[in-house]
Amino acid sequence: MRVNKIYPYLLVAPAMLLIAAVSLYPTLYSLWLSLQRFRRGVASFGGLTNYQFLVTDDNFWNALRVTLIFGVFFVLITMVFSFVLALVFNRRLRFGPLYMTIIFIPWMLSEVVSGIMFLWIFNFGIADALVAPFFGEGYQFLASPVGAMGVIILATVWRSLAFAMLIVLAGLQTVSREIYEAAGLDGANRWQTFWQITWPLLLPTTTVTILLLSIQAVNATGMFLSITRGGPGRSTEALSLYMYNQVARPPFDFGYGAAISVVMFLLNMALAIFYIRTLRRESTTAAA
Amino acid sequence: MAVTPIEGLAKTTTIRKPLISPRLELVLVNALLIALCAAVIFPVIYAVLVSVRPDKLGPTMAFSLDTWFFGHYTRLLSSDRFLRYILNSAINSIGGAALTTVCAAMAGYAFARFRFRGGNLMLGIVLGLMMLPGLTNLIPLYKLASDLEIRDTYFLMIITYAAYGIPFGIWVMKNFFESIPRELEEAAAVDGATPFQGFLRVVVPIAVPGLISVFLLNFVYNWNDFLTALLLLSSTEMKTATVGLFDFQNQLAGNESELLAASCVIIMLPGIALFLAARRAFFQSMVEGAVKG
Repeated sequence: MRVNKIYPYLLVAPAMLLIAAVSLYPTLYSLWLSLQRFRRGVASFGGLTNYQFLVTDDNFWNALRVTLIFGVFFVLITMVFSFVLALVFNRRLRFGPLYMTIIFIPWMLSEVVSGIMFLWIFNFGIADALVAPFFGEGYQFLASPVGAMGVIILATVWRSLAFAMLIVLAGLQTVSREIYEAAGLDGANRWQTFWQITWPLLLPTTTVTILLLSIQAVNATGMFLSITRGGPGRSTEALSLYMYNQVARPPFDFGYGAAISVVMFLLNMALAIFYIRTLRRESTTAAA
Repeated sequence: MAVTPIEGLAKTTTIRKPLISPRLELVLVNALLIALCAAVIFPVIYAVLVSVRPDKLGPTMAFSLDTWFFGHYTRLLSSDRFLRYILNSAINSIGGAALTTVCAAMAGYAFARFRFRGGNLMLGIVLGLMMLPGLTNLIPLYKLASDLEIRDTYFLMIITYAAYGIPFGIWVMKNFFESIPRELEEAAAVDGATPFQGFLRVVVPIAVPGLISVFLLNFVYNWNDFLTALLLLSSTEMKTATVGLFDFQNQLAGNESELLAASCVIIMLPGIALFLAARRAFFQSMVEGAVKG
């Protein structure tokens, strides 16, 4: 079909303009903002002052540590559970669709709503009653740094589990049944089948899921805000929350907030590049 | 296969006896799944139970199954402020999702059908942005919006949500359009339709399922958005339901959990209802957006 050369550009123009105005330009602008010093709302050029402060700021390193600890546990736990669930759902259970629908509901909820609901479970004594045999009566989850982090991780796993499972399941369904039948014929048991067939074939899917979850972990904010707001002390003040606090509270330091967001951007960028490369490799091996 | 299966080989290989019988295994798997589902849905059910318990019980896990008290719902639904929050959420999320769908459909079509200079670069940007959540550009966006004096407007929220949804939408629509045969538009062109007419009258109607899933998924994401709205909105008039809920949680400081629970239930209804009504659309677009390269 012959069309005017401008036609495709006209089609992509609205989308590209919106992306440029809301995503691309602000990202570049944050680089510029991060070089500004804000004093009582007035900006002046400060060069790398914000970054110099950043590397010596204990609270920043604390926030980075909180994000990493959260990320490692969140990604690991979600991966293990989503893998097991995907293997179960791959077997065409009679009530499979019903189970899957229920497990998916948390993904359809706002993080504030989820956070508030988890607070009740931990503030109204339900969780305390459940763990009483192990921790003794009246264990105050949200009052201890480890407990508070645990609650946030639990709530985030709860919300993201189904999404991760769906991606693993989609990967599983591309593995053809014949391979399994052949393995069964060769007398392989299920354990062998999993480690020698499923696992290697699913490796790209696993990488993709881990990366998607890691990106979610780096940017997780809602649960932190609605469950602990960083407390107790600064023990759950993740990077995103620390960034948010720079501009949401006095002294409203946009420059420093922007510097933190540049760091977060770089973290995201590294994960995104890794992700795209994995997808590329996967599609070339699939084509071969 | 390198080795041709030989007749009778299956007989000679030792057939392992499974550890447990298949039937028992099925029962166990189902039991575990039921337990998991119960645990997953528990917070939601519990929120409903708290929302219908009689006034101000304080921080206790008690609930009553015999008396259902709907006073908190009537109080919320007669509160102008709460209704305003819901209206704001509806305007922002429908507006954002609609704009996303239109822009993503047009761009997705262009990427699926035409090779043009800069096209691959743009597609690369789209894929990159899909991976980069809006969080890192929130601060500059906030600053820009303040400088341009467009904070606390529907316009700002709609274009922000639209832009956040577009990369993912383009990806889903591009995959969708690639599955539609070109011959359809070529036939339309032979009949004298302009390319744009061909797109609008021939391709778009076939793509309706894809358009609906992009719209629904984005609507739910926008409706549930919390952080963007929290930072970009400050006037009481313009706040969305999730931001209102967050303020409310702070003000109450543990009192009136029942009213808070009722607001949670109302706010989570649209997402759950749409998801239950169009599960397939949600699953499909999520998978397409995440794994198809």
